[in-house]
Amino acid sequence: MGSRVNMRPTSKNTLLKVVILGDGGVGKSCLMNRFVSNQFDEHSFHTIGVEFLNKDIEIDGETYTLQIWDTAGQERFKTLRTPFYRGSDICMLTYAIDDKHSFRNLQMWKNEFLYYADVKENVQFPFIVIGNKSDVEANEREVSQVEMETWCNENAISACIETSAKNASNVQEAFATAVQHWLRLENRADKNECLYTDTVDLTKKQSENRTSCCINASDE
Amino acid sequence: MSLNNENEYKGRLIAAVKKEVKQVMEESVTRKFVHEESGSVTSLCAAVEACLSQGLRRRALGLFKTSSTTALLHKIAKHSREAAIISKKVQEIENSDPNRRSSSSSESLTKPTLKKNHSLPSTPLPKYLWIRLALFEKQLAKIIDYLVSNANKYYDKDALVADPDYGSILSSLLVGPCALDYSRTKTPDHFWTDPPADELVQRHRISSSHSTPPPVRRPILNFRRSLNASSEDSITNRTTTQHLAKDYVESLHQNSRATLLFGKNNVLVLPVNADVSQPMPGYLSLHQTASGLTIKWTPNQLMNGFTDEVQDKSVFWDYALQVRLDEIVYVHCHQDSETGGTVILVGQDGVQRPPIHFPKGGHMLAFLSCIETGLLPRGRLDPPLWSQRCSNKRRRPLPALSETEETTKDYVFRIADNTTHKDILKQNELMDTHIALPPKSRVQLPSTSTSSESSTKSFSIDQNAPDSPPSICIQAVCDSMKRQIISRAFYGWLAYCRHLSTVRTHLSGLVNSKIVNGEGASDGITVEKWNELCTDGVVTDHAELYRLTYFGGIAHDLRKDLWPYLLGHYKFGSTTQQRMELSEETKQAYENTMSEWLAVEAIVRQRDKETQANAIAKLSSESMSGEQVPAQIQRDLSNEVFEDNISDEDSGPNVEEEDKPERTRQNTIKYDSDPEQDEKEERYQQQQLKDFIHNVIVTNASVDMGNLGSEIEANGHRNDLDVVAEENSSLDTCIETHGLASPAMSTCVSPASSNGGVYSQELLETFGLNLHRIEKDVQRCDRNYWYFTVENLDKLRNVMCTYVWEHLDIGYMQGMCDLVAPLLVIFNDESLTYACFCHLMERMVENFPNGNAMDCHFANMRSLIQILDSEMYELMHSHGDYTHFYFCYRWFLLDFKRELVYPDVYATWEVIWAAQHVASSHFVLFLALALLETYRDIILSNCMDFTDIIKFFNEMAERHNAAAVLSLARDLVLQLQLLIENK
Repeated sequence: MGSRVNMRPTSKNTLLKVVILGDGGVGKSCLMNRFVSNQFDEHSFHTIGVEFLNKDIEIDGETYTLQIWDTAGQERFKTLRTPFYRGSDICMLTYAIDDKHSFRNLQMWKNEFLYYADVKENVQFPFIVIGNKSDVEANEREVSQVEMETWCNENAISACIETSAKNASNVQEAFATAVQHWLRLENRADKNECLYTDTVDLTKKQSENRTSCCINASDE
Repeated sequence: MSLNNENEYKGRLIAAVKKEVKQVMEESVTRKFVHEESGSVTSLCAAVEACLSQGLRRRALGLFKTSSTTALLHKIAKHSREAAIISKKVQEIENSDPNRRSSSSSESLTKPTLKKNHSLPSTPLPKYLWIRLALFEKQLAKIIDYLVSNANKYYDKDALVADPDYGSILSSLLVGPCALDYSRTKTPDHFWTDPPADELVQRHRISSSHSTPPPVRRPILNFRRSLNASSEDSITNRTTTQHLAKDYVESLHQNSRATLLFGKNNVLVLPVNADVSQPMPGYLSLHQTASGLTIKWTPNQLMNGFTDEVQDKSVFWDYALQVRLDEIVYVHCHQDSETGGTVILVGQDGVQRPPIHFPKGGHMLAFLSCIETGLLPRGRLDPPLWSQRCSNKRRRPLPALSETEETTKDYVFRIADNTTHKDILKQNELMDTHIALPPKSRVQLPSTSTSSESSTKSFSIDQNAPDSPPSICIQAVCDSMKRQIISRAFYGWLAYCRHLSTVRTHLSGLVNSKIVNGEGASDGITVEKWNELCTDGVVTDHAELYRLTYFGGIAHDLRKDLWPYLLGHYKFGSTTQQRMELSEETKQAYENTMSEWLAVEAIVRQRDKETQANAIAKLSSESMSGEQVPAQIQRDLSNEVFEDNISDEDSGPNVEEEDKPERTRQNTIKYDSDPEQDEKEERYQQQQLKDFIHNVIVTNASVDMGNLGSEIEANGHRNDLDVVAEENSSLDTCIETHGLASPAMSTCVSPASSNGGVYSQELLETFGLNLHRIEKDVQRCDRNYWYFTVENLDKLRNVMCTYVWEHLDIGYMQGMCDLVAPLLVIFNDESLTYACFCHLMERMVENFPNGNAMDCHFANMRSLIQILDSEMYELMHSHGDYTHFYFCYRWFLLDFKRELVYPDVYATWEVIWAAQHVASSHFVLFLALALLETYRDIILSNCMDFTDIIKFFNEMAERHNAAAVLSLARDLVLQLQLLIENK
């Protein structure tokens, strides 16, 4: 039956709702489009309202359907985007590495998300921080990787990655990392429900190193 | 076949493979993966199969019976490791499917791929199975390589594979595709459940067999019609469609022939003819038609849309249940504390139907009570479900069936027939004919209604449930029927009145009461018409101008002249001379404003440069920690502010400033200074000094002269200022922007012309922030449209900045650029665009987040849909949250600008502007409605929920047929006007 199953999936995939947040112009829509259709439009529009796309992703042999919500980045459109935070499984906090301001605003985005997403208190939510536009020239960079990692550590976010929607670097990885991160937290939550232990789970899957930074570091 | 022909044929075969390889490779590049069931994979396999079959020595190899190439594979498996792997896999798959022993690639070409009584709930094996598998397993090239090198064994001399050139070409062609990753994550299942908008439109086109451009089909919007019965339109459609599946799914909805009495999702049934061991979830529904009750159960797999091709889903059609209740004699109920209960229907022949397992939550009881009501008056449940013995009005179900724990777990009902009395029958028929008359509104009809709305079931149990045997007095029955009929007629009438009053109170404001005739206006304003309208440069007949625009639009070349009228910039009756003066004024004012903000922009830019320099310096200092850091940067690090101009660097570190790093924590204003402006700079300096001295209001702003040419004097001033500033740092007050108030007469756009304004920190921040946003968005605005070259984007930016400068309280909001863009393309004139944009924004600004028009739009949309398309309304209602109408947000915010291509945007906008004077000042609502109605059948037949609709319309952007949508929108306005007028 093995190869038979290979021809088509048996069960319905897990649907994960992913919200991409960040200042206007950091490349949220581009990230989404790169991930979903592997396309990059130099001249893409700024997003008005919300848009979303679906994409399947395979992690550890399981297939997940990501429902990726792309929102308008301007602060003023808050009322429009916040209703969509509810029920999210993953939140991607995005900034552009050549835009310090967008990096500073991560805090605002995180707070806004936590406030409106109705996340239970004391529950660690799977955030992932994404520094987009890693393709820019070194002299245009305004946010260093160290700064990103520091901020993540301060905010207890254990996943971060620098990507480029333009040259497709790390985009797939970013979404994969996000799902893995979600999985980890999900497993942890399950475990906590049974018994609170501080034993180390040796069976836990270590994510590959390609995700650049904190994942392994803060996993301990 | 001659040698030539032979060669040509081989060439064609190879060319076909080449083409398909290219296709697959392209797909992999654009999508990053190729789906296993992609059409291009199948075509590639077909092409390969054709090559391999050609010249195969069938007879010599004993391969005449089955598919030759599959057999060939098995044959060479002995010698080739790669072939062995694939051969094994093929056998495994074939064996797991007893129905098809020798699935062969070429056979499955001609045979229908689906058998009705499939034993496995899975698809038939795909075509070209072994080639497919070999491709996915990346072995195909090697296998063919083996065949090519051993061609003499298996192929005729002149076979393609045996050909010295073609053979190696074939195997090397397939190296590429064998290197790809094939994904199965997106299966046709997903394709069907999560199809792109294109696919949906396509499917719709296929399924609606009538009229060529289906999206433009008139929706059912006629109010009276929807009062009487449900969509007649869609019924006629249904009869024309040949698609059983579609029909079936649609038959599950409420329609005019059948009333839906009960519907419940995820009811478990184990189909008799199914090969599955577990009961499957499905949708259970109870329908009432003129001839009686029908119970239907449909597997969930079929509930999302329908298929018009033979798909693997089709096997589920066999599982679907359809039971006519008049064939049923007994209803067995089994109560179980674990589940919600099970119902087994037993027929007249004593045969049991598959058990129906209800989920928890009283659904079984609800189902039974719907049956009981549905049976009336011709039949009934015996014993009655509802205990009539209680004297109080509240009916109580039989204790056994309330989901509380009870000793009696099982119950059997008999379906008894009341219709022994012919009179009752007759009466019923009589009633039926009467019943068709009173209008009823489907809108307010709850779908599981047990009320008196449908044509045959109608008796409320309280009065009529014949508890006693059929020997009841006929007279009593007749009386109660009379009452029923009268009360139904009354309620129908009442509902109708309420409905109309809703229409009138809520919607009358949406359209103008006067209906303007569109006769002869369908050509719009042509050049000839315009010459008639505009005599000696004066336009007087504005009503006619609006009318023509509304019904027919404006010729493109005239838009430049006419739009300012429509937007209210030019006044009707104005002379050419007056308009020229106006334009001149507009231009002057525009340039003045521009010079004001350009000055501020210069300051903002300078600050930005420094901030950025700081950030970069900080970064580089991080990376080269330990190395020598230039003093300049060191200082920047210590106080994170835009202190010194980087251009200072060549003049060496400024000692004086280094002395006071703390001071510079205060916000600093800096003027960009070009050498040529030294004098003016100095003037600012002086003036500002005076300000500081005269006003005790001292800001925390200090002025920095980047230019050493201003000499020590300036520095000295600054020093003083700094001290003052230090002392007063608690004061947050800002210097008045006095420079702004005075009129700047110069048209020079140099920053220096802005009267040396001193700008408050707050102003700088605000405008700076806006500037950044504008910049970001302008760069992203319509870059794909020919007009927007760098030069013209600058114009767009100027207009935008000018607007924001003049309306700082509103500020820049995303979407404004989109509104400026079409105006700019038409006018190609900054000041005129600006003026018209201001007029446009008077209406549009309310749509932006700080206004409240959007909520009104949504509320109005809701009412309109409720009135004009009840079916759609029901769908939206059933998916609770999508009544928020978020999917219309962008439509309203940008007047559909992003939904349409540029030429259509022009045409749409001018109609919107003209509409308020002709038909409706809320024309956008009707446009939105028209857009929704254009795709209503797709939305309905796919049961789209909130997210589906958002996705659908996002994908459909710029692909609508604007002319059709516009004309539908005009029709809708007219319909509502008639509805309101027709009292």
